[in-house]
Parts: sequence; structure tokens; C-alpha cells
Amino acid sequence: MPRSSDAGPAIEVHDLGIRYNLRLTRRTTLKQSLVGMLRHEGVETEFWAVRNLSFNVMHGDNLALIGPNGAGKTTILLALAGILSPTEGEVRLYGKSSTLLTIGAGFDGDLTGRDNITLAGAFLGIPHQVMAELMPSIVEFADIGPFIDAPLRTYSTGMRARLGFSIATSITPDILLLDEVLGTGDQSFKAKSQARIRELVSTAKAVIVVTHDLGYVTENCNRAILVEKGTIIHDGEPSATVEIYRERVKERKLTLESEAHRFATAPAK
Amino acid sequence: MTAPSAELKPAIVHVPSRRRGPVELVLEGVAEILSRQRLIRYMIGANLKRTHTDTALGQLWWVLDPLFLMGIYVVLVQIIFNVGTPDYPLFIFAAILPWKWFSIALGTAAGSVTAREGLIRQVQFPKLVLPVAAVGSATINFAISLIALALMYLLFLDRVSPWLLAIPLIAVVQFVFSLAVAIGLAAVNTFYRDVQNLLGHFVRLWFYASPGLWSFRDHLQDSPQLRTILQLNPMAPILESYRNVIYGATEGGGLPPDFIGLGWVLGVSLVFVTIAIILFKRMEPAFAKVV
Repeated sequence: MPRSSDAGPAIEVHDLGIRYNLRLTRRTTLKQSLVGMLRHEGVETEFWAVRNLSFNVMHGDNLALIGPNGAGKTTILLALAGILSPTEGEVRLYGKSSTLLTIGAGFDGDLTGRDNITLAGAFLGIPHQVMAELMPSIVEFADIGPFIDAPLRTYSTGMRARLGFSIATSITPDILLLDEVLGTGDQSFKAKSQARIRELVSTAKAVIVVTHDLGYVTENCNRAILVEKGTIIHDGEPSATVEIYRERVKERKLTLESEAHRFATAPAK
Repeated sequence: MTAPSAELKPAIVHVPSRRRGPVELVLEGVAEILSRQRLIRYMIGANLKRTHTDTALGQLWWVLDPLFLMGIYVVLVQIIFNVGTPDYPLFIFAAILPWKWFSIALGTAAGSVTAREGLIRQVQFPKLVLPVAAVGSATINFAISLIALALMYLLFLDRVSPWLLAIPLIAVVQFVFSLAVAIGLAAVNTFYRDVQNLLGHFVRLWFYASPGLWSFRDHLQDSPQLRTILQLNPMAPILESYRNVIYGATEGGGLPPDFIGLGWVLGVSLVFVTIAIILFKRMEPAFAKVV
């Protein structure tokens, strides 16, 4: 396992398992669940998004989680952020805070930009004093001019993204969790936001990013984990992991194609 | 590799949520509400800013709305059904104001968790603040709508009574009862979103079954069984108490609130709030998986 530093672990994930109870957590209506109960349907009622997952993240690691859609990458990230609690195993974080960077936290269309900053801070549990001190720099970084005192529903998508990014990156966490939020808005803001991300990455003890941007992984990360169906397929150098991922995608495509071919040429029943 | 390191202690550990006892859950829930008071205040402030900001008359609607509703009921009950209760506008106004509070509290609280589903998957915070803030906003709304009551008294000056000072006492009982129902609804609605749709109709039916447009004193004297059943409704002593202090006796003169009835409702509501918090806290870990 590549390590950029030997200062000890930043995160330890031990035998993590997260189970979804489909009977409860699928968007159900009363009708569906009553019908289900009556029919005693033999559908799967449980689904393990991840299981028996163990890995360590060392100090200074910039780790990417890659894999196909539905592999459990985001579930892992949510578990690290404490938003999903583990069904099995445990997650140990050696840092005073871990933040999931996602744009739009706490946004309320009828409130002004400034009010939204305050509300987001309260949801994040940031002390009022700290938030008041951060306010000017958040407003400045978002750089949306007088709109900061207008209701959010009057904002363009780009302005919303700028404000969201500015709020989300205003606090510098020890452990930075990124869910595909690299570069938003117009060109000038994109450059600015990428610089901010680099700054956060450099100050954080550890960074974990979930992304489909394989170019970003090989360029910026020092380690990559390939996740499929909730388990680790490969853990190592980004270039090697990305290579394995590409191979597997190609393979799957081939099998799918041959299946499609068989299906197309099979005599109709 | 995954053994806890000896020299360092983790700052945060996420482990499977143990099946915690009810006492622990209640204490935790109460502590969460108390420690997040500022967040609750902000959310209430946000709700107040939001309501009616897009209308020409703005916040004036808080006062106008119950007056219009009263107008409709007066026409309906007094003119169409020809019921001859003296000073009927004030009679039903005493029920419209608290009921509006009750139905808005339940309606907004029921959807309070699902409305913030995006946030729940982004930020870790105690979800209990959501229904509490919904009930809080509705309460402020009620307090402001008391201005409409003051306006009503310009027409019914002779019905002003010192017992009006008991309104806050009745309101406290109603608040606790609303909170219990609201927290329970918010949790259940996360898994069965039909609850929100059914609720409006159910609350309306509940109003007609409560002594709002009519009173136990004037009706149901000859059907004691039905009367007993309807009096099990926790909102019955609450509405009768409001009417006693706001409207008073039919022939005029203030009446005290139904202290015994209110005491019972308060006791039952405190039990309900405890049960609702336990229910909510049990379901909370699954919220992020549903929304």
C-alpha cells in the first residue's frame, strides 16, 4: 500500500457493512407495502451496499474511490461523514472534523444569500461566533455582488453553485470528503475553486474523493481504491487501479455485447 | 492493519447504532433540542420570513386569513343552517385561531423531514430539530394572529373578560400536545409519504368532531355515550377552554378554562411527547437511507 507519510492513520475502516432495508427504505407508499404484505412477495428485502470493507487512510493520503455506478462509493463516503451509521464494523477518524463537501447544503430559496450562509452554518453545527467571523470571506469568495442580499430563488444556477462552494469550503476540515464537486460555474470561478480545493487538500490530513474523472485521479491522487458491488477490488497506485478499472469495464462491455448478440440472433420463442 | 493504533486515539468513532433504551433515547433527544436552540430559532425565523413574502399584503394575511375563514363559517352556520347562537362570530373565532395553529403545525411538521431530504444526505445534524421548528413557527404564527382577536373585540367589547389572561396557559397545553403529534407524524411520514396527503382530510374531520363550531353545552345533551367518546379527544378540553375565556357564557360573562380537562391533556401529552421522541429517535438512523 503506497504511503506518502508514516505519521499514522487518519481513518481506519474496519469490517464496515451498511445494509439497506429495502422494505422500509425504498420510497414506499402505504399501498405498495400493504400489497407486498398481502402477497408475501419473495423479493429481496435487504441489500448490503458495502460489506466486510476494511482499509486505512494514512496521514497525507489523497485517496480516490472509483468504480461503476451503484458500487457503494458514495455510501462509503456517507459512512465516513457519519451521515449513515454502520450496520456492522466501525469507522475511526483521527481528526477533529470531517466534512462532506457537497454543494447546496441548507439552501432555502426564499432566504437571502446571507441568511442562507447563517442557516447552513447552524445546520453544520458551527458556532455562531465562528460563522459571523467567516461571513465576510464567504461573501467575498462567492463574489455575487448585491445578489448576496437577494432571495436565493433569484439566483442563476452558477450563482447558487458559487455560494454553495464558498460555504462548503469556508471551514478547513482535518479530513476532507469530496463527492464529485470539482470545478463549478464559469471559467474564472472554476480556476478560483480549483485553487481553493488544492488549498484545502494541502491543509487537510487526508482527502477522500469519489469521482468518475479518472484523469483527476491519476493526476492528483496518490492512491486509488476500486470498489465494485460494495467490496474492494484493488487498492494501490492510481495509475494501476485506473488501468484495472478500465480493463474490467472493457470486459463487461464485451460480455454484454456478446450477450446482446446471442439474444439478437436467438430464434424467437 | 485495521487494529486500533496504540499511540493515537481516534477523535470520532462511528459504530453501529446500538439498540438503545427508551430513557437514553429521550434524554438524547431532549439534549439535542436544547443544544440546537439557535438552529431552531434560525429555522423559525426563516419560516416566518418565507410565509406570505410573495403576496401583496404580506404578513397582513396572518390576521386576514382567520377573519375570512370566520366569515365563511358565519355565513354557513348562522345563515344557511340558521343556528341562533348570540355573537356567533366570536364564538367560532375562539376555535378558528387555535385550530389553525394546530393544523398548520401538524401539516408543516409532517413534511419537515422529507422537505430537507437533500440536506439530510449532506450534513449530519439532529433531525429532531425539524418538526420542533415547524411547531415553533406555527406557534409564532398563532401569537401574531391574536391581533385579529383584538380586532374582533372592537365589535364585542362587552365580552372582554379577565380570563383572557389564561390564553397562554391553554396555549402551553396545546403546544405540548401538538409537539407530540408533530414529532410522530414527521417520523412516520418519512417512510409512508401518504401520511402527508391523508393528514389534511383527517385534521378537517377532527375539527368537525371537536367542539369548534358547536359546544358540548349546547349539543349532545341527550346522547351521553357519543358525548363521552367525543370528550376523549384531547383537543376538546383545549377548544372548550379557549371558548370559555374568549367567548364566555352564552348570555355573556367570562368563564374560567376547564382546568381539570387541561391538566389531563397536559399529562397525556407529556407521555405522548416521550413516546414520539422514542419513535423518532429509533427511526432517525434510517432517514438518510430513505430520503
